[in-house]
Amino acid sequence: MAKNDILLSVEGLTRRFGGLVAVSDVELSVARGEILGLIGPNGAGKTTVFNMLGGTFPPSSGRIRFDGTDVTGWPSHRMAQLGLTRTFQITSLFPTLSVLENVRAASFRRAKTGWAGAFFRTRAWREDEAALARRAEEILDFVALGHRRDMPAQALPYGEQRKLEIAVALGADPTLLLLDEPAAGMNPDEGAKLVQMIRAIRDRGVSVLLVEHHMKVVMGVCDRLVVLDHGVKIAEGQPQAVASHPEVIRVYLGREKVGA
Amino acid sequence: MIKGRLPLVVAVLGILPFVVGNAYLQHMLVLWAIYALLALSLNMIVGYLGELTFGHAAFFGIGAYTSAILSMNYGLPVWLGPFAAAIVAAFFGAVIGYVALRIVGPQFAILTLGFGSILYTITNYWVDLTRGPMGISNIPPFSLPGLDIDFTRADRMYYVALVVLLLVAYGCRALMTSRTGRAFIAVRENAPLAASTGIDVFHTKLLGFTIATALAGVGGALYGHYLRVITPDLMSLQYVAALIIMVIVGGKGTIIGPIIGAGIYVALLEALRVVGSLRLVVFAALLTLCVIFLPGGLVSLWRRYAGRQAAGGAS
Ligand SMILES: Nc1ncnc2c1ncn2[C@@H]1O[C@H](COP(=O)(O)OP(=O)(O)OP(=O)(O)O)[C@@H](O)[C@H]1O
Ligand SMILES: [Mg+2]
Repeated sequence: MAKNDILLSVEGLTRRFGGLVAVSDVELSVARGEILGLIGPNGAGKTTVFNMLGGTFPPSSGRIRFDGTDVTGWPSHRMAQLGLTRTFQITSLFPTLSVLENVRAASFRRAKTGWAGAFFRTRAWREDEAALARRAEEILDFVALGHRRDMPAQALPYGEQRKLEIAVALGADPTLLLLDEPAAGMNPDEGAKLVQMIRAIRDRGVSVLLVEHHMKVVMGVCDRLVVLDHGVKIAEGQPQAVASHPEVIRVYLGREKVGA
Repeated sequence: MIKGRLPLVVAVLGILPFVVGNAYLQHMLVLWAIYALLALSLNMIVGYLGELTFGHAAFFGIGAYTSAILSMNYGLPVWLGPFAAAIVAAFFGAVIGYVALRIVGPQFAILTLGFGSILYTITNYWVDLTRGPMGISNIPPFSLPGLDIDFTRADRMYYVALVVLLLVAYGCRALMTSRTGRAFIAVRENAPLAASTGIDVFHTKLLGFTIATALAGVGGALYGHYLRVITPDLMSLQYVAALIIMVIVGGKGTIIGPIIGAGIYVALLEALRVVGSLRLVVFAALLTLCVIFLPGGLVSLWRRYAGRQAAGGAS
C-alpha cells in the first residue's frame, strides 16, 4: 500500500488509568476509503482508543498519525478541524436544538462568514447561510431524518437519535469517521439499514472506524477487523478469517457468537 | 415573536417619551433601556454560553468608572467614554475569563463571585483613583460632538440608550445566525460534542465572555453619565442579583426576554417603593417561581400560547 493511502496510523498506543492498562501497545491503521472494524468484549479498551484518537485525552505513550500529520495528544477540536470526527457510545446530541439545527451547529468547519457578515447581512453571509442550510438538509435526507427536521433532538425516539448523531458527525465534514456502537439500541431492521448507511458514508469519500458489538453489522460492512482484548490487539485481518481465529473464539466464547 | 412587527415596535419605543410625557416616567425609561442593555450582555453568558456568573456587575462598575475618570481627569470627550469603557471592561473580562473559564459549572460561578468581590473591594479602597466609598459625583453628562443637546434630560438621554440597546439587540440576533453564535449555542448544549465537531470550547467561551463584559462596560458608562454619580455599590451583589433576575424572569437565551425582564424589574422597583426593603422578598419570590414553574422565563408563556394557537389552527 502506498504511503499516502494510509489515512490513520497508530503505533504503540497505550493508556493507563492508575494501575490499569486499558490499552496496551496497540498498532493499527485505516486506509483511505476503508471501513475498519474495532471489536472486542466489554472493557476491551475500544472506547479508550476512540478517546485518544478523538482527542478527549492524550495517550500515555505511542504515536498517532492522521492525514500525514503527527497528531499525538491533539485536543478534540483540532482533530475535528483536521478531519477526524468521532461519535459517542452514550447518545450525545445538542438536546434542545431542532434536528436541523443540530446538523447546522456541527457545520462550524464549513461556515466561512462570521458575525460581522451576519450583522451587515452581506452577500457572502447570505450565500454561506443558504449553502449550509442546503447541506444540512441533504445530510438529514441522507440519514432519513428529513421528516423530523423541526423536532427537538431530545424528543426523537432512541433509534433516530443514534442516526442524528451520525448526521451531526457528518455535518463536521470528516475524512475519517469514528463510530462508537452506532447500532446500540437499534432494532434488527434499523441495524440492517445502518449497514447500508455506513457503506454509503464510505461512498461519500469518508473512511470509517467502527466499534460495534452487533456482529451482523460488523461482518456486513467491515473490510477488515482489529480485535482487542484487555487492551491488547489479539487478531487482525479479513472478517471471515478473524471470526474463525482461535484466540478470537476463545475471548468471545460464552459471550456472543462470532460470525452469526 | 416580533418578526415582521419590528418597525412597529421600534416606532412605539421611539415615541414612548412623548406618550408618557412626564419626566419621572421618562427617567424610568432611561433606566429600563440601560438595564436592558446590561441584561442582554449577561444573557450572552447565561443564556448563550450556559454559564452562570456572579461577577457581571463588576464590569458594569468598571465601565462606569472608566468613562467617568477618563472624561473628568484626562479630558476624554464624553461620547468616546462608552468605547473606552468597553475596551477596559473587555480587558478585565478577558483576563478573568482566561483564568476562570478553564473551570465550568458551579465552580466557575463561585470564581466569578470571588473576582467580582475583589474588584468591588479594590474600587472601595483605591481612594486616589476612585474616591473610595464616597463615589464620584459631578460626572459630566453625555454629549455628542458638534451637537448642542442637553442629555441631562431623560427624554433626550433615552434616545441614546435606546439606539445602543437596539444596536446590541440587533447584534445579538445577527450573532445567532453566524458561525460564532452557533458555536456559543453548541458549547452550551454539549461541550464535548461541540469540540468533536471542531469548535474550540475554551476560546468560544472566552470570546463570548469578553464581548459580554465589554457590553456591560458600555452600559456602565451610559449609566454614569446619566445619573452623574457613581459609587462602588454599582459592583455589589445587589446589582448582580438584579441583572440575574431580569435575565431569568424575562427568559434567558432569547433577545426579547432580558429586555422585557429589565422592564419588569424597573417597573416593580418603583411600584414597590412603598413597601421598602420588602420588595427584595418580592423579587426573590419572583425569581424562585420562575426557576421552578417557568424555566424559560415570561417569554416562554408567549411561546406556549402561540404553540397552542398553531396547534388549534391545524386541527
Ligand atoms: N476515564 C477512565 N478512568 C478509569 N478507567 C477507565 C476510564 N475509561 C475506561 N476505563 C477502563 O478502561 C477499560 C476499557 O474501557 P473501555 O470503555 O475502553 O472499553 P470498551 O471496549 O469500550 O468496552 P464496552 O464494549 O463496554 O464499551 C475498562 O476497564 C474501563 O473501566
Ligand atoms: Mg465502549
